[in-house]
Amino acid sequence: MNKIVRLSWANIKKHKLETIALVILIAMCMLLISSSLEGINGVKTIFPNMMKNTESFENYLLLEERAYDKEYENILSSDERVEKTATSELLYSISTNYLDEKGKEQALYMGFITKDNEEKLEHSDIETTLSDAEIAELRHPIYMPFAAKESLNYKVGDNFEMVFGTKKYSFTIAGFYDTVILDSTGEGLKNIVSDEDYHVLESVLSKYVVLAYNDHHGKTGLKFLDEKLDEFENYSNLDVKSGIRGWVYESIKETVGSTDYLLKIMIAMAAIIIVSVIIMIRFRIAGDIRDQVVNIGVLEALGYTSKNITFSYVLEYLIIAAVGIIIGTGGCFLMTPLFFRICEIMSGHRMYGSIYIMPIILTAAGILLFIAIIAYIRANTVKKYPPVVAFRKGMGDHCFGKERLPLRDTKSSVHLRLAMKGFLKNFRQNIGLTVCITISAFAIVFSFIMFNFFSGGMNAIDVSAGMEMSDLRIELMNPTDAKEFAAELEQMPEVRKATPTSGLNTMINLTDCNELMFPMAFSDFKVTENIFTLDGRFPEHDNEIMITNMCSRSEKIYVGDSVTLEYLNVKRKYIVTGIVTCLTNGGINLYITEEGMKRLIPSYSPDTIELYLKDGIDAEEFRYELTQKYGRSISDISDDDNAEGTYEERIKAEAERQIADMMANYGVSHVEYAIQSGDKVISGNSSGFLIKSIMNIGDIMDTQLSGLATAIEIMTTLFMVLSAVVVMIILFMLMESSIRRQRKELGIMKGMGYTSKELMFQLAFRIMPAALFSVIFGTIIGVAAISLITGFIGNISINIPAVIVMDIVLLLFCFGCAYFGARKIKKISVYELMTE
Amino acid sequence: MSTAVLHTEKLCKTFSSGGFQQHVIKNLDVEIREKDFTVIMGSSGSGKSTLLYALSGMDKPSLGKVFFGDKDISGLSNDELAVFRRKNCGFVFQSIYLLENMTVFDNVMTGALVVQKNSAELVKKVEQLLEKVGIKKECWKKYPNQLSGGECQRVGIVRAVINEPKILFADEPTGSLNSASSTDVLDIFTELHSKGQSIVMVTHDIKTALRGNRVLFLSDGKVVGEYEMPKYGTDDIKKRRDGLQDFLDRMGW
Repeated sequence: MNKIVRLSWANIKKHKLETIALVILIAMCMLLISSSLEGINGVKTIFPNMMKNTESFENYLLLEERAYDKEYENILSSDERVEKTATSELLYSISTNYLDEKGKEQALYMGFITKDNEEKLEHSDIETTLSDAEIAELRHPIYMPFAAKESLNYKVGDNFEMVFGTKKYSFTIAGFYDTVILDSTGEGLKNIVSDEDYHVLESVLSKYVVLAYNDHHGKTGLKFLDEKLDEFENYSNLDVKSGIRGWVYESIKETVGSTDYLLKIMIAMAAIIIVSVIIMIRFRIAGDIRDQVVNIGVLEALGYTSKNITFSYVLEYLIIAAVGIIIGTGGCFLMTPLFFRICEIMSGHRMYGSIYIMPIILTAAGILLFIAIIAYIRANTVKKYPPVVAFRKGMGDHCFGKERLPLRDTKSSVHLRLAMKGFLKNFRQNIGLTVCITISAFAIVFSFIMFNFFSGGMNAIDVSAGMEMSDLRIELMNPTDAKEFAAELEQMPEVRKATPTSGLNTMINLTDCNELMFPMAFSDFKVTENIFTLDGRFPEHDNEIMITNMCSRSEKIYVGDSVTLEYLNVKRKYIVTGIVTCLTNGGINLYITEEGMKRLIPSYSPDTIELYLKDGIDAEEFRYELTQKYGRSISDISDDDNAEGTYEERIKAEAERQIADMMANYGVSHVEYAIQSGDKVISGNSSGFLIKSIMNIGDIMDTQLSGLATAIEIMTTLFMVLSAVVVMIILFMLMESSIRRQRKELGIMKGMGYTSKELMFQLAFRIMPAALFSVIFGTIIGVAAISLITGFIGNISINIPAVIVMDIVLLLFCFGCAYFGARKIKKISVYELMTE
Repeated sequence: MSTAVLHTEKLCKTFSSGGFQQHVIKNLDVEIREKDFTVIMGSSGSGKSTLLYALSGMDKPSLGKVFFGDKDISGLSNDELAVFRRKNCGFVFQSIYLLENMTVFDNVMTGALVVQKNSAELVKKVEQLLEKVGIKKECWKKYPNQLSGGECQRVGIVRAVINEPKILFADEPTGSLNSASSTDVLDIFTELHSKGQSIVMVTHDIKTALRGNRVLFLSDGKVVGEYEMPKYGTDDIKKRRDGLQDFLDRMGW
């Protein structure tokens, strides 16, 4: 045994640099696999921990106050499948904005709830740095979900300004808490406010009743909910379904758990890097034996058995692997919290996961076993080298390769020619190198495209949003004629186009999957700018619809299939004509013509306008202008204090109050008035009350997708760096072993007058055909992989020039690494070579 | 008297190892004349090879200077020395040092193409030289380990002279060859010298040294004696051998 250890140790000492490189590669393998496994383990803990820590109900229904009846809770609780119920209330709106750190308005759906009402639903611990006394002193304290901290970067004590219409409401963040519903920037945020602030907001935001129930951990599901909604409607004769939002146990679990898809991509990428590392390890061991074949012969002549030598190699690589595993494990302990952090950003929830030892042990055992097997298989070839054969460098007899690229045919540089000769001579080694660089190039190109796409801001996702990315989305007051108003808006010099469509207030049930969908209705889809079909065509007739790719994949509904839509117990059949990529609204959009909508909802008329502004027009300024001109609401009027205005102003204010009340509560669509006051006529009309709300779509998308984009940017950057490091280490190792193997040859060439730089160029250029092929092939499969995942993530547009530049950079990087790795040639002294 | 093509000023070469310093060449002033066939002799460890490599720019002196014509080459960087070598020097080694993974023809071409552009003339020149040293056409595509030692050394000589160097350095060129092959190789050197090639050769073999016209005897890092002879073939060989033997005896050889 001593003999074997001595041999192994001697080998390690002899190739210090290559050993270090191998240790780094193994450490990376260990780090990536174990951290990813820890991450996935951690993600699995989010949901149960969230439910446990919040003591939350399992299912939630958010009903508009107008559609609620107290009997609903009894209907629910009388069902034996339901364990426990509760009723609470909150204020909710999708027309709310907040002021970001630059003071710019950003769209964010928001809910507001009092502490008492929140406690009826869940009991989260509050995370705060303020003392009770400090909180008591705050004028408008607000407790926000963790997503406000993770995705919007708020801190305790920060000012949070909510904007609704033209009014701003200022709060001070008193703490953060974990919540199950309205817990992300995409879904919206449920904020706990004081009773006083709740009453103020009550006058402007819509009130919703929250019905919560437990059903033995999701035993009932969506179908049960649908049944109950039917029962509610039958009981109350109210339209319950159209204004509802619901969360059932399984969907909450799925949403929270879906965070791990990024980790799965990461594991896939890690696997790719690992394959590359494995190939390199295999070549390294094979190369080592080839390089040391003479020494093997000497050892055999000295009496070492081939078994001794084989086990010395196995032990050598096991020692290297063990060191790599120890370093990788240390890295795992550092990296795992980073993954947990990414998951927290993505999910908006605290991760209570801790690092488990089992994935680390399993990974370590796997790596050790693999390396032992590879080392044994390769080292076992020592058997083929009895001393005499080993002394001849492993040649059983004299065999001479075919002459390739004879120098007499040299047309250009001799260095290029010699490099190419070297490439052909080491063809087998270059195959391994090609595989390694191809894999790394694939990882880099894939990550680069993803990074480029998600860091490109809103323009990048224009094609994937699955909804119109107009500058402003205008939600109209109920009786306003959208087509007429759109025509009026188009007359404005700032406006490029105004397209009437449906709002997000109505949801239609796609009965085939029992899912409530957001209808996107247009009279003609050809006028849309951001809805693109992945497959099929736009709907043209009143019996045609398009669905999202996510829906198509999950429900196995394809172009040509027939589906049934349901609204208020009216069911109609439609044909799916197209599939659309959709990154927004959780992928539950439905694309339908205006006539198609009318077929299902005869009273349907567009209530929203997509407004496209001309280049150079500031959307935020124009939004303000429109709000002033058309967007006054009853809440604005009721807050206006004109008691001290002139007589004429007070008359006008009263008239506007009346108009607002008539339009909001009595379905009045247009009002003109004229009041005789002495010899003066005070007149006006209802044109200032046409708009209910205006949303800046870009801001909504920014808010909804910023968390995802940040996480993807972090991950892709990490992968680009890791893949580049792998390429660098592989090339360094390759150069190191090439120089060692060709030391004599390089010395002779130096003696002939070849400079170190020329030889470094030759050696580095040798890998370029392999690198060129690898980069091209890696790019092709990278682009293909992007196309494959397009269905899941969106129509990821590929910036071809950027990818080409990336490829060139990658090629230069390969050359640079190889050139730098070959710098040891400088240390080769001709004199030493001649006299050794 | 021909002019000096190389000369040294107080050339020193010291090797250090484990804190121990060995002064191999000590304050040496020596001159290598154009068109001379200079033979450096001396006992083992006298510094012959060290001097050869210092003169040829293969190695840098520890102290002192080496002038090639008027140019001091002792201060050049390694890459500058490489460029200097390929333009001015040719080398023939005892261990031959052909590139094992290249054919005979490519071995010569590798040396040629670092200086000259590829052309039909160059290829023809290589062919002529190979034929001249007795390497037949059927051997041109062979690899070094398919040739005999003598054949390899002849290829090594062609590689050394293909760029028409100003000086040809040779370190024990016949050291690893049998008698017949040695004679063949030495005949090539003699012929090159007769055509005006400056040659500096290290040897400890009298038979080889006889081919030169000037012998420098090194002892303990210094030139302790110098002996001049007529060109090889122009005098009586016995008289020539006796004269050289006499000189070497005086040097304590």
